Amino acid sequence: MSDGGLFHALLFDYTLRTVALGAGALGAVAGALGCFAVLRRQSLLGDAISHAALPGIGLAFLLTGSRATPVLVLGAALAGWIGTLFVLGIVKHSRIPEDSALGIILSVFFGIGLVILTFVQRRPTAAQAGLETFLFGQAATLMVRDVLLIVGVGAVALLLLALFWKEFKLLTFDREFGVALGFPMVRIDVLLTTLLVVGIVLGLQTVGVVLMSALVVAPAAAARQWTDSLSVMVILAGVLGGIAGVTGALVSATGGGVPTGPTIVLVASAVVVVSLLVAPGRGLVSELVRRFRVRRRVRADVVLSDLYALAAQHGESGEHAHPVAVLRAMHRGQAGTRRSLGVLAERGWAREVEPDRWAITPEGVERARTLFLPGAGEDGAGAQVEDRGVVAPGGEP
Amino acid sequence: MSALDVEIQLLAVVVAVACALPGVFLVLRRLALMSDAISHSILLGIVLAFFWVQDLAHPLLVLAATATGVITVALVEALHRTRRVKEDAAIALVFPALFSVAVLLIARYAGSVHLDVDAVLLGEIAFSPFRRLEVAGMDLGPRSLWLMSAILVLNVAALAVFWKELKVSTFDAGLAAAMGFSPALIHYGFMGLVSVTAVGAFDAVGSILVVALMIAPPAAAWLLTDRLPVMVVLSGALAAFSAVAGFWAARAIDASIAGSMAAMAGVVFLAAILFAPHRGVVAGIRRRARQRLDFARTMLMVHLLNHEGGARARVENQMGHLQEHLQWSPDFARRVVRRAERQGLLERQSGGRLRLTPLGREEARHRMVR
Amino acid sequence: MIRRESGAPVPAIEVNDLTVAYGEQPVLWDIDLTIRQGVLTAIVGPNGAGKTTLIKAILELVPRAAGRVEVLGRPYRDARGEVAYVPQRGSVDWDFPTSVLDVVLMGTYGRLGWIRRPGRRERREAMQALEKVGMEAFADRQISQLSGGQQQRVFLARALVQEARIHLMDEPFQGVDARTEKAIVEVLRELRARGDTVVCVHHALQTVREYFDEVALLNVRMIAAGPVDEAFTEPNLRLAYGGRVPFLQGVTGFEAPGGGP
Repeated sequence: MSDGGLFHALLFDYTLRTVALGAGALGAVAGALGCFAVLRRQSLLGDAISHAALPGIGLAFLLTGSRATPVLVLGAALAGWIGTLFVLGIVKHSRIPEDSALGIILSVFFGIGLVILTFVQRRPTAAQAGLETFLFGQAATLMVRDVLLIVGVGAVALLLLALFWKEFKLLTFDREFGVALGFPMVRIDVLLTTLLVVGIVLGLQTVGVVLMSALVVAPAAAARQWTDSLSVMVILAGVLGGIAGVTGALVSATGGGVPTGPTIVLVASAVVVVSLLVAPGRGLVSELVRRFRVRRRVRADVVLSDLYALAAQHGESGEHAHPVAVLRAMHRGQAGTRRSLGVLAERGWAREVEPDRWAITPEGVERARTLFLPGAGEDGAGAQVEDRGVVAPGGEP
Repeated sequence: MSALDVEIQLLAVVVAVACALPGVFLVLRRLALMSDAISHSILLGIVLAFFWVQDLAHPLLVLAATATGVITVALVEALHRTRRVKEDAAIALVFPALFSVAVLLIARYAGSVHLDVDAVLLGEIAFSPFRRLEVAGMDLGPRSLWLMSAILVLNVAALAVFWKELKVSTFDAGLAAAMGFSPALIHYGFMGLVSVTAVGAFDAVGSILVVALMIAPPAAAWLLTDRLPVMVVLSGALAAFSAVAGFWAARAIDASIAGSMAAMAGVVFLAAILFAPHRGVVAGIRRRARQRLDFARTMLMVHLLNHEGGARARVENQMGHLQEHLQWSPDFARRVVRRAERQGLLERQSGGRLRLTPLGREEARHRMVR
Repeated sequence: MIRRESGAPVPAIEVNDLTVAYGEQPVLWDIDLTIRQGVLTAIVGPNGAGKTTLIKAILELVPRAAGRVEVLGRPYRDARGEVAYVPQRGSVDWDFPTSVLDVVLMGTYGRLGWIRRPGRRERREAMQALEKVGMEAFADRQISQLSGGQQQRVFLARALVQEARIHLMDEPFQGVDARTEKAIVEVLRELRARGDTVVCVHHALQTVREYFDEVALLNVRMIAAGPVDEAFTEPNLRLAYGGRVPFLQGVTGFEAPGGGP
């Protein structure tokens, strides 16, 4: 289907509009909530929650016989919550580390879920429950009332997020300080985790238990690259998640039975890759450019120091010119001596007295002194380092 | 029990034990979730290789899938090293992307072939015996049993040969490097082993349940022992038990065998965490109850020692004061004092004052210095 | 200064019989400590002595096995608003997406209570606090771009906007540059001048005498506490740090009697 056709269908096809709206709302909610999960290093808790939800879906169907989305979502949420409690309990009461606890809960709960699902399917009386769409998601199964559920519950979750914004930020950044301020951080934690569980289980029908956690993590990880502000990050993650949701759902719904989950996840992953590469400031491309500049400057400084040393050896005023070959020999044949001299010339720290013979200028001598003599101009240099803020993110300066 | 049942159980046991062996080091090296990442992304290797050779039984599939597993680990680490995302997020970004590509490729191009999406998650251990290995017209048994047995032998051999290296690098990577074992080489070699195991097990139990078999039995074993060799053997035994018990449970209710094996592994782990002799929750509760008295007795003696001869000794070292300052109930305080008295650590003087005996003083000093 | 009815000043913090255990391993044994109002007190002791735990136990961040803590004559829970806290710099993720001003504003959250957001007044206070620590130029800076010393000053500013009278600081001088150290000391003295109380977990023995009025020597149990002149003596340090203390030479500011060990 061409883009024009897809656009046309989106405008005029009622079903497609429904699906797009549901997936978009879902992506927005998951993306926004995911920011907190990612910042709290709980990216994989999302994975455990979504897998742990599967037995909840199966049991809810088994007990009520209902395929209605609210019933299944409620079952999923309860199971997801119980899974989370198990993870916390295992970490707290045993020597088992968190990663193992998460691995056990996600796989064992998923196994139990499969047992229930296969049991349901093989019962002679059971009409095909169609629960297996919950594995990889099928946006095409979204009904209007499902979309209303996603939008309604999602809106409540986002409203709570906005309402307790300050408390959630405190929890994520400095939990102990929050306790010292007198906030009941455990209760705040429970609330935020509940919101995360809700965001995840809302997406199970569309994206599936296997890949839902990616929709929680990817938009947040992408958004983080573009901004240093939590509020901007959350909004941006919501927007990116929404875009991934709509795009993926539409491709899936019009692509003839392609499962929705993987499609959405691929779109979201592409957004992450682009963000990691080209985001200004944190992007890897701008990091490369920055590193290249620093290396060029350091190389130039090395040549400057050589010139300075030569000038000092010769004991003259510094206007004595030295052949390029000498300078090249001084740092063991490293390439780029001539380019470094060019950089120095640009800044007026060295000049080419005659072809291939270079001398340090008085400004260059001054610069070399502040660079290499301990104590000289320390304050200035220190302040410069502090103010430039070139430290890479996450690193100890 | 039919021959088919025997073969399925045999395969289940071999798969479970083969997974549990490298699982021990996954748990100890805090790499449990790397197994999750690997077991998902190997699907991409399988699918790509399948498109190449058009034969699900081709050995290239195993090779390609194993390579994908190792590449996944490298990708996660590369992403983490950019310092743009934390490690947990790096894992959660890499494997869903690779897995999604694989699932879409299957759904789009391989729908009619033997690869289907459900099998990826469920495994098809029940059908495995139908794919036989035949050499010169002779039936040698299920193909996957041979493959998995080979992997099990490989795992046992690798653990035996590189035992020392694995052990040292797990507990002290710095020391291992100083001794001349390249931590990176050990790490990637080990992850290769995990990958090939996951590839073999994938066929039988699917990508997610592999994680249960790799992590749950070793984690349970770690609660039962502090010795590495015992932990390895115990992990294998618990895994084998989970496999057989899982098979019969699945049989009883006619449900997924693989899922039931994972659930059993979970049950075994739950039992371990609750009832392990020393590290279990129940043992912990009982020990704490016992130690609460011991601890209170020591606390009392340290308290008495600290205030001995001080200006406020007369006030501090009173029976009534204990209730107020140490926040003990009168009943508890009486019990603690009586216990210490019986042990000859303190004596009661007139007016409810408590005094350490020389023995008690010695003991208090000793406990305080640790 | 808060006084009792009798006119005697109430201690800023009074710790009685405090015992803290992690699992079954006691990390603080039966601590008694009285911190006077309006003085700078250092908590000193070797690694693993329980210095951080003592502060956290006072703040109820770790459970107490026994003991009582009173702040300005009231149980800590009733006097929480009087106490500000500067945790160790390494306790948070400095890659968190937020600005310097935003972190400082967190100090006002306790006063604001649930849901209410910091407004113009809080911003003004936060800026003033940043000025006090010489960081006003960095208000909009992302926190990952700060040096260690600057991070410490941001934490200090956050404590200042708490408008407390008692300040508990966990190693505020740990790994900071000379400029930051000077700035922090200045702030501590300013606080003392207006009658506030400061308790610092402190590592550098050679600056105890210069920076602090009182000292508490800790090693699982309380070794000595009181004015620096009385408590910060070589025998007490020996008790706290064990026998091997050649590095203590000259630290206490006293000549060792008889010319050394």
